[in-house]
Parts: sequence; structure tokens; C-alpha cells
Amino acid sequence: MTAQNHDPITLEIIQNSVQAAADEMFAAMRKTAMSSIIYEVLDMGTGIMDAKGEIASSGAGIPAFIGVLDKSVKFIVARFDQPGAIEPGDVFATNDPYYGGVTHLSDIVVMMPVFHHGEMIAWTATIAHHSDVGGMAPGSLTGAATSIFQEGLRLPAIKLIARGGTNEPVMQIIKVNSRMPDVLEGDLWASIASVRVGARRIEALAKKYGTDTFTAAVESFMDFGERASLSALAKLPKGTFELAEEQDNGQVYHVRITIAEDRFTVDLRNNPDQLDGPLNTSRDGVMVAAQMIFKSLTDPYAPATGGSFRPVELLTRRGSVFDADEPAALGFYYEIELRVYDLMWRCLANHMPERLAAGHFASICGTFIGGIHPDTGRQYTVIEPQLGGWGASMRGDGNTAMFSGFHGETYNCPAEITEARNGLIVDRMTLITEPGGEGRHTGGRGIVLDYRVRSDTGFLTASYTRSKFPPWGVDGGRDGSPNYIEFIPKEGERQRFAHVSGLATGKDDVIRVCTGSGGGCGDPRERDPDLVRADVRNGLLSPQRARNVYGVEIRSPRPSTTACLPR
Amino acid sequence: MAMQQDRVRLAVHDMSNWITRVATDVGGTFTDLVRFDIDPESGQSRVASAKTATTPPDFERGVLEVLRKGGVRLSEIDFLAHGTTVVINALTERRGAKVGLITTEGFRDTLEIARGNRPDLFNLHYRKPKPFVPRYLRRELPGRMNYRGAEVRPLDLSPLEAVVADFRAEGVQAVAICFLHSYANPAHERAAEAEVRRLWPEVYAVSSHRIAREWREYERTSTTVLSAFVQPTAERYLRRLSDGLAGRGFAGSPYVMQSNGGIDSLEAAARTPITMIESGPSSGVWGAARLGALIGDRNIIALDIGGTTAKCSLIDRGNIRIVTDYWIGRDGRSAGYPVMVPVVDMVEIGNGGGSIAWADDFGKLHVGPRSAGAVPGPAAYGMGGRDATTTDANLWLGRINRDYFCGGELTADMDAVETALREVGGRLGLGPDQAAAGIVRIANNNMVNALKLVSLNRGFDPREFTLVAFGGGGGMHAVALAAELGISKVVIPPDAAVFSAWGMMMSDLRRDYIATRLVDLVPENAEAIENTLVETEAAALTQFGSEGVAPERLSLRRFGKFRYQNQEHTTEVALGENAVTEDRIREIRSAFETEYEREYTYRLDAPVEMVGTHLTATAQVGRVEIRRQELGPESARGAQKSFRKVDFAPEGTFEAAIYDGSRLRPGMRFSGPAIVEDAASTLVVHRGNDAEVDGFGNIVIHIQVRGGGP
Repeated sequence: MTAQNHDPITLEIIQNSVQAAADEMFAAMRKTAMSSIIYEVLDMGTGIMDAKGEIASSGAGIPAFIGVLDKSVKFIVARFDQPGAIEPGDVFATNDPYYGGVTHLSDIVVMMPVFHHGEMIAWTATIAHHSDVGGMAPGSLTGAATSIFQEGLRLPAIKLIARGGTNEPVMQIIKVNSRMPDVLEGDLWASIASVRVGARRIEALAKKYGTDTFTAAVESFMDFGERASLSALAKLPKGTFELAEEQDNGQVYHVRITIAEDRFTVDLRNNPDQLDGPLNTSRDGVMVAAQMIFKSLTDPYAPATGGSFRPVELLTRRGSVFDADEPAALGFYYEIELRVYDLMWRCLANHMPERLAAGHFASICGTFIGGIHPDTGRQYTVIEPQLGGWGASMRGDGNTAMFSGFHGETYNCPAEITEARNGLIVDRMTLITEPGGEGRHTGGRGIVLDYRVRSDTGFLTASYTRSKFPPWGVDGGRDGSPNYIEFIPKEGERQRFAHVSGLATGKDDVIRVCTGSGGGCGDPRERDPDLVRADVRNGLLSPQRARNVYGVEIRSPRPSTTACLPR
Repeated sequence: MAMQQDRVRLAVHDMSNWITRVATDVGGTFTDLVRFDIDPESGQSRVASAKTATTPPDFERGVLEVLRKGGVRLSEIDFLAHGTTVVINALTERRGAKVGLITTEGFRDTLEIARGNRPDLFNLHYRKPKPFVPRYLRRELPGRMNYRGAEVRPLDLSPLEAVVADFRAEGVQAVAICFLHSYANPAHERAAEAEVRRLWPEVYAVSSHRIAREWREYERTSTTVLSAFVQPTAERYLRRLSDGLAGRGFAGSPYVMQSNGGIDSLEAAARTPITMIESGPSSGVWGAARLGALIGDRNIIALDIGGTTAKCSLIDRGNIRIVTDYWIGRDGRSAGYPVMVPVVDMVEIGNGGGSIAWADDFGKLHVGPRSAGAVPGPAAYGMGGRDATTTDANLWLGRINRDYFCGGELTADMDAVETALREVGGRLGLGPDQAAAGIVRIANNNMVNALKLVSLNRGFDPREFTLVAFGGGGGMHAVALAAELGISKVVIPPDAAVFSAWGMMMSDLRRDYIATRLVDLVPENAEAIENTLVETEAAALTQFGSEGVAPERLSLRRFGKFRYQNQEHTTEVALGENAVTEDRIREIRSAFETEYEREYTYRLDAPVEMVGTHLTATAQVGRVEIRRQELGPESARGAQKSFRKVDFAPEGTFEAAIYDGSRLRPGMRFSGPAIVEDAASTLVVHRGNDAEVDGFGNIVIHIQVRGGGP
């Protein structure tokens, strides 16, 4: 059955309704989750797949999660291929990248098949970051892990609910493995509620319009995605583009991208072997990064479907950091995925400057702080990505204080809520004024965020990249500033880190997060002097640097009444 | 054009004892008036409406003009309510005061950092909304409260003199003050505001705790800044309006419509004008709730279809839901700006009569959110609009009468409509008939999805609700939407096009006191919860008392916001009239869990927290009771004008009976396929549905549910 045989308006109404269902799943999940990383940071995604696992529609949230759910569902479909192995009312789960989980053990993917008249017609699925899935360290993520066994409980694509009946023993295993069992259970039920809501909506659509029409609508939606991608791909410059870039850890990454009429090929075979630590990623994870950059370059506005990504081809080498073999640790996969995303971006930015800005702070800057809340005596764990500066482009200055390109509809945690919920005081959250990102258009600013710890026996874990090599400028614009974390103990030496695992913290110690400003675009001497003067007036630029970097003399700088540089 | 609609027929006798209530609503395009006259003795009443062009920037001129057109003698009216878009316009057009912000040390950049979100997921050229106060006008003071409201570090006011001097030198016109944790203890804000006023008596100054008592510093700072930004404009406007009314003999004090569905005194509105931000739309929802009470339907979905947008809201057992997570300028492409004030919970989509239909590069048809507005308007206006709009499609299908367009004020340019439909249809391989039908179906589907968001999405079954539809386009789509959702009853009020003004006229004085106060829901905390409520009630009584509202006139209702421990989003639960005691904690928990399960399908064996309280204080302002009129004969033949062919796609084309809305009388009945026309709106009744006019002049349509449903 093809789309041609159906009324195009009906197909479109079904497509809109599928989109609405994915959005509804997202809202349901957000409102019921128990971890701030889900409900506030929105480190989660929802989607609807066809019976084979191709993306039909995705909810809001994190773009880096949109290309995950299809891979998980495809794994389930392949694994449960015997007749009757997948039944109405079933709910499946995986968190293991070696079993269709794509990311790391902290992210649990929950999936539910949708049936109509006994035939499987679609899947609804969610992914969310859980605060603690067990493993060697609180919060499950640690730089000390050398194999996946240390990073939490592995759920190798299992049936969590069979025909509506919960597999209680499995639920108990999952709970007992977590340091925060109630939160994990609450969040898992939020996921289950979300996939059930989506499934009900899809069932209603199939009932109303019939399976054939429903399937035709989903297929035509995907074909539409492919047409949108191909038509935009045709407008990109063709050729093969290459880049080699040294990383903070001394490794050199290589990428080769070939853009042809109908193909976007990313070759990452020439790259280092997988590491002993958790800075590795699965091949699926790298595919997500390639899909994201492709989508942004081609058609950022059309809804992302399986069809949108059909032209993307990925080449990797097994056993490399970009295609790690079991049992490599993968906890900080997201930094590597983001590195390869930034690598592809940078590789192409030089050849299509009107489409791509200078480099952004390009790190999740994942920060994990835990301890005992002195007012409640309860354990708290903060798991947060950080805001940073985005790169300048030919169109203007970069945005200030945004989440990285991997995040989208992600929100930072208000200081007022952080202080109530955790044993922390937020002493400041300001724009960073370190030099960096100067240009005709300037990079956006990163931030300085000070957490003061309220009680002893806490910990700090963090893993930031772009700490040695800052965000890159383009076309004569200067590089931005680096990401790093400082530990300022009440007594003793201040320490600066890019990576730190399980550092003990005590009362009145300060944890200072500093994130980078984005790269600049164009020669700073070509910047509009009025904008330079405004930067000085706003306390973002010193008069000396205005003169030295921009060649703009500031006659009577108006002093700000409050200092804005960190101590 | 002064429209006199006497759907409720009566004989006009001596009117000297009659009570007259008037509401005026300043919209983007038109300023509406509704007047209601009632004889308290006989219960006889009369509703009339008038409309005139809105007159920016001196909006009060349009108000005075519409009062004149409506034949209102200001010296004789008993009540005047007023709603306005002046606040939202000032914000969207960014025309307002130069604002200086004073905030907690370490947090001057909160306004610019915002929340870091990027709704436009794949767009690498996203532009973050620009803050309303530049960095050099954002200043800090040392001093700290904690989340429990205890002072951690005393406030140091000594830098303020220099800050005020800077602000004066920079031409600042309004000062916003927002400190961390002021929702828990506003003492520092009060002290800083007093000092600013002492140093600079003539400046507009506002602190966050006067507007919002909830946590989240960015949202509260943004709200305070936006309120300061509009304050001089709004104050000037309200003063001129008040002077203009007084100059024409109005002896009373006008009431101003708020975003929470209530009215407030002009003085209170001028102090925190940001609360007027959604005054028009919220009064429509309030009107729907009042109408529901009148006709005995407590479960209502209100649908307001205007020229640019459609808005809907769900009223559960007579209760309007009030929320404080409202944004301006927020959509899929922009994070917008948060405004943390009590606003009627509504879903708004860019789908109205003027919404433009367009085909994308891949042959898919879309409707909205871009609108043709009033100028050039739909193609049918013949004012150069080349795009086909929903109105054009409805004209082409024969649903809107091409010979009675806009009440006969305009001649529908059907050639322009055809050209526009052929243009958009051509890109999809469709002729004008199919294109027009497609536009209406897509528009309906957009609205169905919005209606599902307020109902199904929150665990409400739309089949248990009555759809009250109003606004110029409400009747055009309501019956089809109801059929799609399995709703069996649609009510179209008289004067549907100016129903928001009707709601305003029926409104009560209302204030919502929403406060963050985090405690575990356990018996030991019952006293603390009760004390919080009693304190808030005392504050409400004092505030209303100072404005001359006696305690016995005030009706207070208590709500709590609850969640399972560790969650963030809360569920609001009515706490009833009795004091919160240890014995009642279990009952409150159970009420929370019932609500929670309805909305989210499951409950947990986990501790429950109360995050805050919500108190509503309302006082009637001489509200009049509308009486049901006697039902007359059932035959509607007297109101029938003609027949014409109407395309009811996808059901088909039928010969429809055409009724003159102004000649329909209580008791009359008719059946679809039918069209009811009046000067300002069109009602489409599909085949198989029966309609009747009730004793209040509402047209009630009973929908044959076609097996569909959600």
C-alpha cells in the first residue's frame, strides 16, 4: 500500500496526531519524574517508531536522544524475533550499549509495542538518565571505571512487563542495585506511564483510520523526511573534507567527510584504539552525532524521522574509541560523542562558513556533587550538565550561557531549588569574563558557578573536555576560553581539574565551575567600535583589551559598582 | 456598527430602576463593548454590544468611543469592567520604560543566563532572547536569605545611593528589585524598595514579592523586570482612562480584568500591571464557567477562536485551573520570557480565521501560525491579501455567506479567494474545492490536538464535557471538533463574538495568593500548614479590607500543591473549609493521590510533600442573576432566511437551511445541515445534529456521535 492511494489530507492529519502523541509522552514523563536531571534538565527523550523501529516522530528534549530510540527498538525486534515473543501489553527495557542501549548504563530505554487487530504497527519509547543505576560509584558515573561492569546494573534488552503484568523480581533486582531505589523506581514508572500514554494514542489512531492508512501515513512521513534531506543535501558544497585535531588527552582524532549528491559519508576509521577508562563510545553513539550534524546542516526544521537520516553513512573501526568492544567502559561516552560532533562541525565550518559558526564550549561539563543534606539528613546527588558560550558566526555574536549542541530543550537548575534540595549554597552564577572569543563577532560567554558545600563527607566527580584546547575561532576570530572546574577548599590549596573522580568535599569548601566562551568570527579590529564600547560598559571587556585587541580607545570607562571577575 | 441583538426578547418599559453593567475589552484590532441591563423587579434583561476600531497608542480613546456607540450614559451605570491588551502589546513591541535591576550579589546575570534552553533543537543559528535590562543596569547588593526564609547575611544598603545616582544619570525610568529567596522572606526586598523610594521618590519601583511568592529566581526576576517595563505605560493609560470616564460623568471606580479570570481595582492593577497580561482571553474562560453554572453544566471545555489564534481551557466541576508558568514570545523557535503571575490555564495555537494556509517544499499543507491579520486580511477582503486563509476556505465552501460577509459590511472578493485557493492547491495537486476542504480539515485537526492537550493529556475524557465555543470563529468549527472528540453537546452563547467582554461583566473581584512553602505532608506538619494558610488569609483580608471590602463579602478557598518526594511538578488539591489538622493529613494525601492517578495513571508508595499553598479570595461586585426566559414555539421557520448549498467536507455537499441568528428565540429547534448567521459570526451545524435555543438565548447543539471519540 502506498501513500498515493490515500487522501493526502488524512495522511497529514495522522502525521500531526503522531507528533502530538510524542509530545504528550514527553509532557507526561516530565511531570512525573523524580530526578531533577529528568524533570528540570530534561535529560530524556520520547519517540514513536514504526513496527521495524524506524523513527516516525519524536518529542522535544535533547536532540542527541532522538536518534537513540530507533536503534534500541531495532535491537529488540531482532532479539525477540520468534512468533509470539512480542505481545500486546509488553514493555521492554535496555540500558546496555552492547545490547541496543546506545549511550551508557545510566540511560534506561523503555519501549512498548503497539498492536491493532493482533498486528504490531508501531512502538513507543522513552529514554531517560537515572540518578543511580548501581556500579562502583555514587551516581554510577566515574572516571575510575575500566570496564562496563563497574558502571551499573546491565539490563540486556529484557521484557520488564509481560502482557501488562510487571515482572516483579526484575523490578526488585533493579531497585536493590541502586543507591537511590525509590527515585529509580519513580522514574522508571514515569517512563512506563509515558510509553503507555503514547501507545493508547497510536491505538486510537489505527482504530479510527485503519492499519493500512496509518502505516501509509507513517511511511509517507518518512519519505517526506528523506526528500527534505536529499533536497537540502543537493545544495551543500560537494567533495571530501578532512580534519585532524589534537585532544586534551594527547590523542589525535581524524575525520573524513564526503558529501555527494545523495550521500553524506563520515569516515572515522583512522582513530585511536579504545581506552581503558570510560571515555569511549559505541558505534551507535557516533552515528547519533553524525545524524545530528547532518540534520542541522540540511533541514533543521522538518521533523526528524527515520527518513531524514537515510543519506547518512558511517564508517568506523571496531575496537577504536568510536566503536568500542565489550567490556570497555562507556560512562562518559557523551564527551566523546560530543568531541566527534565538534570534530565534524569544525571539519566542515571552514568550507561552509555561512552555515556553521565557530566552535562552542562543546562539553557537557557533566558535574556530579553528592553528600548529606544537613537540614533533612537525606542523601542528595546533583547530576548536571553546564551552560557555556556558543561560537560567533558570520551572522552575529554567539549566544551566551546555553547548553551544548547535544542539548536542546534543557533547563538549568535554579539556585533557589538547588539550595532547597541539596546541601549546597550557590554563591554566584555570573558570566565569565576571561579573555577569549574576540572577533568581528564575539563568542558568547560561558559562566562561573560557585557551589559552597554545607556539610562534610561529600564528593565531587566531573569530566570536562575542551579544557586544554579551547573552542576554535574562525576566519581570524580568536579562540574562546577553556572549560574547567576548581576546588577551593576552606583550608589548603586551590586545585584545577578537567577530570576528577570522587574527590572528598567538606563544609565550606567551594566547587567552582568555569565554562568556556565560544570562538570568535572575523578579525577583532573589524568589530563595530560601538559594540566594543558596549562590551566595556557591560563589564565584559577591560579598556586595556579593548585597545590592545580591538584597537578601540575607551575615553572614560564607566566603572561598574560591582566586581564581576571571580576572586 | 452598533449591533443590537435581542435574542432574548422582552418588552422595554420604564428603565429608570434598571441596573446597567458594562464591560469593554480592548483587543488588538477591535475594542468591544457589552452592556447588560436588568430590571431587578421583573428579572427582564437586555444584552447589547458594540464594536469600534482599537486606537493605539491612545487606547482610552477607543474605549470612550465604543461607550458612546453603545449608547452608554456613564452617569447611569452601576458597574464598569475593563480588559486590555495594552500590557501584552507593550511587551511584544518592546515599547516600555528603561529599567534598572537590583538583585542579590553574585546574580546580576541571572536575567541574561536565563535557563539555557534551546527549543529549536537542530538550529545552530538559534538566537537567545535578549534581556530587557542590559548588564550595566543590573546591579547587586550584598545580603542573603536561605530557602527557609532565614537571614544568612544582613542586607547592606550602603551601595544603593551610588546605584541610584547611576540609574538617574543613565535615564532609568523604573527600578525592579528581586532578591534570592524573597518568596520565603521579603524583608530585604522591602528594605531595598523603601530605600530606593527614599532616595528617588518619583521613580517607579517594584519588588518581586509584590507579584510572585514562588521560587525560581530567573522566572521571578523576569516577571519583576517586565512589570517595571510596562508600569509607566500602564499607569498612564489607566489614569487617562479613569480621568476620561470621570470627565464623562462616571462616578464609580472602574474594575480592571486580570489574567486569573477575576477583576481588580484600578489602583491595584496600576501597582502591578503585569497581572493584566492575559486579561482578554481569561475573561472568556471565566465567562464560559459562569455560563456553565447558569445552564447547569459544571464540566466545560471553553474554546475561543479569534482572528489569529484559538485558545482552549478545561473547567473541571466548575473550577478554572490557575497556573503561574506563562511565557510571552515562546514557541518552537524561541524560549520567550517567563511571567510568573496567576493566569488561567489555556492552550493557545496559531489557528484562527485569518491563519494562512501554505504548502511546504514537499507538498504538505499547513495552516498557520502566520496570520493575515486585519491588514491585508484574508484574500476575500480584497485588500491585497494573496494568501488563502481559513476564512477564505470557509467562504469557498459556502459556510460563510459570501453575500453577507462581515455582516454585509464587506463584499467578499471571491475572485481573489479562488486565485488564492488555486495557488496553494496547485502546489498540492488539488483544485480549489479540495484545497478549501483540506484547509478546514487541517485547521480542525490542529484545534483537535489543542483540545486533547487540555483534556485527554491531563486524564480528562472530553466525552464528559460540554463544549462552549465563542469568538468570531467558534461556531464555525465547534460542531465538527465536538464530533471528532466524541463531545455530545455544544453551546454557542448569544453575542459569541464579544463573549470575552460578557465574561468580564460577570466577573468577581479575585486575587490568587500563591506561595512556596516546602514541608513534608505528615501529621506533625499539620499545624505549620494551617498557620501558613491562616497567615495568607489574614494578608488577604487586610488587603481587601484596606480597599473597603468587608470580610463577610470575601469568599476564601484553600488549595495545596503536592507531589511525591523528589518530584518537581505539583498537583493542586482543594483543602476544603475545615482547618488542616493532624487527622486530616491522611484525607489530604488520599485526595492528592486520586488527582495524581487520574492525570498520570499510577500512584506510588512514597512520601508526599506540600510545596506551597494557593489561596483564592473572591468578592462579588453586585453581580446580577440572569433569569431564564420562557420557551416559545419550537418552529424556527420565522428565523429562516433561505437555503444554500454548503460543502460540509468530508461529509459532502448539502442544501443547508440558513437561519438569521438575531431572529432565533428561546424554544426554537432546527436540525443540520444548517447555518446560523449573524453580523459577527457563523454557526455551522452538520447533518444529523439537532439544535435548540435555550432560555438564555444560547444555541445548544446535540451531536450525533459517529462512533469516533478519542
